[in-house]
Amino acid sequence: MTATGGGRLEIIGVRHHSPACAQLVRERITALRPAFVLVEGPSDINGRLAELRLGHTLPVAVFSYLRVENGTRASWTPFCDHSPEWIALTEGHAAGADVRFIDLPAWHPAFADRTNRYADAEQRYADAVDRLCQEFAIDNSDALWDHLVETGPDGDLGERLAIYFDGVRGDATAGASDQAREAYMARWIRAALAEAPPGAGPVLVVCGGFHRPALLAAAERPEPGWPEVPAPPEGAVGGSYLVPYSHRRLDAFEGYQSGLPSPGFYQRLWDEGAESAAAWLMDSVVARLRRRKQHVSTAHVIAATTQARALAAVRGHRHPARTDVLDALVSTLVAEGLEERLPWTVRNPQLAGAHPVVAEMVAALTGDRTGRLAPGTPHPPLPAAVDAELAALGLDGRGPLALDLTAEDGLLRSRVLHRLRVLRVPGFERTSGPRSGRDPVAREEWRLTPSDLRLSALIEAAAFGATLADAAEHALAERVVEARGDVAVLASVLFDAVLCGTGALAGRVGPLIAAAVADTSDVPALGAALASVLGLWRHDRLLGAAGDPGLAGIVDAAARRLVWLLEGIRGGPQPADPGRLAAVVALRDAVRHAAGVLTVDRADVVAMAGRIGPEVPPDLRGAAAGLRWSLGEPAEPAELDVPWAPKIVGDWLAGLFALAREEVLTTPSLVATLDDLVGELTDADFLVALPALRQAFEFFPPRERAQFAELLLNRRGHQGDGRALLRTTVDPLLLAEAAALEHAVDEILTREGLLP
Amino acid sequence: MTTTEHLQRPPAEVRFADELARLRAADTAPRPPGWALSLDAARRFVVGDPAAGVSRKFVGDPSLVDRSLVTLATSRGLMLVGEPGTAKSLLSELITAAVSGDSTLTIQGGAATSEDQIKYSWNYALLVSEGPSTRSLVPAPMLRGMAAGAVVRFEEITRCPLEVQDSLLSLLSERVVAIPELPGTDGMVFAREGFNVIATANTRDRGVNEMSTALKRRFNFETVFPIADHATELALVETEAGRLLERSGVSVPQRRDVLEVLVTAFRELREGVGGDRLSTVMSTAEAVTVAHAVGLRGWYLRGEPGTAADVVACLAGTAAKDNAEDLQRLRRYLEQRAARRHGEQWVELHNARHLLPG
Repeated sequence: MTATGGGRLEIIGVRHHSPACAQLVRERITALRPAFVLVEGPSDINGRLAELRLGHTLPVAVFSYLRVENGTRASWTPFCDHSPEWIALTEGHAAGADVRFIDLPAWHPAFADRTNRYADAEQRYADAVDRLCQEFAIDNSDALWDHLVETGPDGDLGERLAIYFDGVRGDATAGASDQAREAYMARWIRAALAEAPPGAGPVLVVCGGFHRPALLAAAERPEPGWPEVPAPPEGAVGGSYLVPYSHRRLDAFEGYQSGLPSPGFYQRLWDEGAESAAAWLMDSVVARLRRRKQHVSTAHVIAATTQARALAAVRGHRHPARTDVLDALVSTLVAEGLEERLPWTVRNPQLAGAHPVVAEMVAALTGDRTGRLAPGTPHPPLPAAVDAELAALGLDGRGPLALDLTAEDGLLRSRVLHRLRVLRVPGFERTSGPRSGRDPVAREEWRLTPSDLRLSALIEAAAFGATLADAAEHALAERVVEARGDVAVLASVLFDAVLCGTGALAGRVGPLIAAAVADTSDVPALGAALASVLGLWRHDRLLGAAGDPGLAGIVDAAARRLVWLLEGIRGGPQPADPGRLAAVVALRDAVRHAAGVLTVDRADVVAMAGRIGPEVPPDLRGAAAGLRWSLGEPAEPAELDVPWAPKIVGDWLAGLFALAREEVLTTPSLVATLDDLVGELTDADFLVALPALRQAFEFFPPRERAQFAELLLNRRGHQGDGRALLRTTVDPLLLAEAAALEHAVDEILTREGLLP
Repeated sequence: MTTTEHLQRPPAEVRFADELARLRAADTAPRPPGWALSLDAARRFVVGDPAAGVSRKFVGDPSLVDRSLVTLATSRGLMLVGEPGTAKSLLSELITAAVSGDSTLTIQGGAATSEDQIKYSWNYALLVSEGPSTRSLVPAPMLRGMAAGAVVRFEEITRCPLEVQDSLLSLLSERVVAIPELPGTDGMVFAREGFNVIATANTRDRGVNEMSTALKRRFNFETVFPIADHATELALVETEAGRLLERSGVSVPQRRDVLEVLVTAFRELREGVGGDRLSTVMSTAEAVTVAHAVGLRGWYLRGEPGTAADVVACLAGTAAKDNAEDLQRLRRYLEQRAARRHGEQWVELHNARHLLPG
């Protein structure tokens, strides 16, 4: 917090959304009465800062987008009550200062890989943060931050911040994008120093602490002339507007690229102070657990409170900090080993698999506040864009509506309606239509009911994008993240993306789903998903998804994952699993029909099938043999090693037939072998093998079963129609009873010596 | 006392005697009753304090150390659970050395552990000649810890029979051991300030699930995880294996890329890429053993540092043990994962996959 420029410049380096920093900014504004308050934020909305001061319920965000030829870039600049930037904007204005944003616009290439302007810069320089954590012997940067700043001693906060951020910055040179931003921000500071009238207050800058050392160095002398706001590239359409935001979206535990985690907790800290925040956290976790019928006794609460105080004392905190309370709760409430690390001790927590108590604790931290825009805030462009689109397509009426998806205009209208549906805008309800990629339905029916709730829903949906297509894409992408690897949910998101039009799949949704698929372990679900995605990719002319690169990426990810998972399946004899066999078929089809987009090739798959050994369930072993055969190996069916134990032969054959039906039918020698071996089974063994054998032959459609029967007849020198062999005129049960009776009679005759 | 030079592994309070002395000398913070150090100094002893010349001895989460120390200062025992080879015993040794200055009050749990190994037994010759007296009493670690106000370590507690585990119940709640054979005040040994118990249990053996709820309630559970950070684990394996190799007379340093392949493979097999973990323990301790073996193979078989092919040969023995499924998992890993990695050492690893038996 050193002042330079002859005492006329003060730069406060902050962490975004930090209550302690917000308090510091507030104090400095009151003390300094600055002439200019310059804030890290999008300089292209400087003309519209009044909109921010209309009295919104926070959190809200400035949403910025830029549509160029190959897609739309979107980013958010979120504010909550305890954002230092927000305090600078509002209280700077109240103190009579000239307040301006000084950073590059969100669409600038310097933000190319960011969707959250106020994501922590430290995350990009993790090594330095790790070093600091090691020095202080603290788990991670969030705990270190709490330790040094939020619960640190009173006074000297500026000094401590400077030490922290200088440590983070270290000797590292910033990346190119940070350098570009810093150079631009420095120009604003130099201009403000030149413009500030003599005798007026100083220039106060509020920026991410990471940038502070560079800005101090670059803003030594005044230089008149405000910098220009860069114009978007030619032909691109862009803009920024205010949208409601929420604690959930702010939270680092939920999304990637966030700032300070646990906004619910810090909201309390800001509103009521550290002591009360700790008490609130303890209370709300206990209340949540009790609501979930978890046993939390008063003794537990006393023990946790003591533990939290003791931890705070050991760590030198005046009041229990966030991690002190969390650590205390987990120490006292979890009486078993944990499967996953505690989310607040690691940098990028995975919540899947967290202990239920831990999951409740994290949920309590997130908070549940949702922002609301003040009345009179200019509407974001989405509602108007939607109205125009609906009017142009004649969808602004009311009542039932039937669409023919084979007609170009029907498809167009259907996509618009589906985008509204995935954004949960009320009044657009689909009553019938295709339910999956394989559904041969080309007609959709909708019911439109105009509603007053539409506008507010669209304003909320505008947080996802400025046009219907963009907003739907981002909403779908968020659903993918929330699916946490559940294949069924992913499949439904995927089909929604197809219904909404292909832009979403090729954009963010496809790669996200591909990444999620690469993590799943559910073989049958994955197989079903691969089959249907492959079908869409190959054939879907109706919805226009055929050949979509997003789908191709998912096909590849699913096929690769299946190769990995199939080799890992283990187990003794067990009934054939149709889902698993279908997965092998889907993999085979992907190799056959989508080789061009796969990163595993035929040889990999054949080699994998070759490694499936004897300790694997029989159906999978049969399927592996069938997989190799149907991919052209082995050339000689004699190499097929059919296991003849009656308990497993049927399941093994089910696997083989599922994969290599055609190959079996065109290989009379194999039919002969099968015939011989079935013939050699004793009656009892045959009955054991029968159910599984029946299931195996189900894989042949009736015509092929007849073909098979014909081959059998030919082999025994009979002529005739194979179909006759398949049709019995008598109830099979009766036949079985007759056979059993005959057998019993035979036995008696043999026993009495009446048979030779 | 024998000189420490000839000991294979002196206890922590001997190995780090000067660090402890320095910490004690500079320790002005209030100490919990019966403790040799303040909480803060004990913490620094374990997690390290470069400024005071105290080395970092435990590379896990510092917050785990905080929680453990605070638990010990309360009336609850501390239960460290986790996979084998995650340095639970080391942590318990370090903590007891810091808190009580003595880490040797240790009970090693096992199927044959009985109550007299926990509380006390008798010197039968004296018992017969003099009758029960404090002279003929042979105190076991728990009794000694209570009398002296020291922390007692109970290793592998879940391997003890349940009824033996439950003999701790009254000790931990009443904080007294009754010796009915002794008359008068000698018959009751009350725990002094500073007494507490650190138990360890590994999740691969009989887990803590079978433990009685009553006993569970007397402990705070802390899970010790494998080392989170790749670089930290690599550095640890490098130093530890280097030390072992030096002792074994190997004079060439190990190839860093080979160690990196080794540690990466261990971490991935341990975490189970996609939820399919090896059933064998793949801890850092095992990684050090394999690294040591790799170095030995390379040096004594060919006179060079070990290669990625040696890693495969040694992994077969460590990772697969006698488990065919693990062997198959390992093969799948080498076939599918290693093949996708770039770099000479990964190619070497992939190409050596035929060295796996079977």
